[in-house]
Amino acid sequence: MTPVRHLDPATLIGYSSGALPLAFAAVVASHLELCATCRARVGEADAIGARLIEQQEGAPLSAGAREALQARLSEASALAPQPARSGRPDPDLLPTALQPWFGERYSTLRWRAVAPGVQILRGGDTGPDARLLMLRTAPGRRMPLHSHGNNELTLVLRGAYDDVLGHFGPGDVADLDADIEHQPVTSPGVPCISVAASDAPMRFSGWMARAMQAVLRL
Amino acid sequence: MSKLPATAATKVTPLHGASRMSRSLAQPALDATYWSGQMSRVAVYADVDCFMRVYDHFAPRLNRYLLGLGLPPAQAEDLVQEAMLRVWRRAQSFDGNRASLGTWVFRIARNLHIDALRRASTSSAWPDDDIEQLHDDEFDVSGSAPEAFTDHVGLGRAIDALPASQARLIRMSYLESKSHSEIAAELGMPLGSVKSTLRRAFAKLRRGLGGGA
Repeated sequence: MTPVRHLDPATLIGYSSGALPLAFAAVVASHLELCATCRARVGEADAIGARLIEQQEGAPLSAGAREALQARLSEASALAPQPARSGRPDPDLLPTALQPWFGERYSTLRWRAVAPGVQILRGGDTGPDARLLMLRTAPGRRMPLHSHGNNELTLVLRGAYDDVLGHFGPGDVADLDADIEHQPVTSPGVPCISVAASDAPMRFSGWMARAMQAVLRL
Repeated sequence: MSKLPATAATKVTPLHGASRMSRSLAQPALDATYWSGQMSRVAVYADVDCFMRVYDHFAPRLNRYLLGLGLPPAQAEDLVQEAMLRVWRRAQSFDGNRASLGTWVFRIARNLHIDALRRASTSSAWPDDDIEQLHDDEFDVSGSAPEAFTDHVGLGRAIDALPASQARLIRMSYLESKSHSEIAAELGMPLGSVKSTLRRAFAKLRRGLGGGA
């Protein structure tokens, strides 16, 4: 899987500096699990942050902090075995960064139908400033036309779709600014599963609007 | 005779300050190698002296960083200690060929901070250690040459050479952890300009890192 559509550098900086809302950070981290290019980019963003922090003069810790830390070293051995990395990838597993919000496995997701061929799942409590949503759309179907107040970050997990911006397959992200109105059409074959973070209520127009808004309580 | 050392000491102090500064600003590539060496000894021998050198350098800087993010002093210090313990426990997973120690330590502190925010603001149950370790270790500058990350001389220069507006936004992002919309509101800038300014700054800093256009 080689994603062709990557994260906006501004988003990478937001992620690296810890300033992204949780919902966005979850989508970014999921993309990073799939995309070596963006992993390298965020490595650079982290190096920039580290450099800025090292350039600053330190703020002394309280008296005794050093000794307290040193005393705790023996109870946490540096030679403790490291947890093993997971073995071969299991295609039923969600990206690790999404698991706390939606569960571990695609096969156990409890989708809610909102319209013929369209199912959704809301992520857990992502706080007041952003929301996280998974969308499963049958192949060859028009997704609801919508626009955004501020930002939306979408990651394709399975299947694919096309919209005015092009073709998006597994691992690709669409990192969208405000005032883009788009109507994705899913590719034939398998259902398209995507996850999206948005920092303002999505505004749907068209026939599906009422059903979507009712279910999403947007 | 007895007065001489005291006089010398007062005269030497500012020089010491200057030499410390030039060491951290002008020779960071050397530092990266030095810190990797210290960490190898921590990983292989659980060498406490080496670890405490790492602690003495990074703990006060992490403290400054976390205070800058707005944490109360007691909480900042707890997170510093937690981060440094994690550095100790995970010494074996640090790979000096993939990231500088500074980058790795920053990542650990940032992730701990995000997790603390998460726990405070959501009711979701968070798996504790494995995911965090993944995030501490995995997102390295891996595709590039091993020495690319040590070229922090270039990065330091690129930071110094940023136009004031770009430098300001980069600092607000990293040192105050301000979101794009918070920056936009605080400076009265359109959100789109905040993002495009950060994009331009990132492109310049990447070149400083040797990361190409």
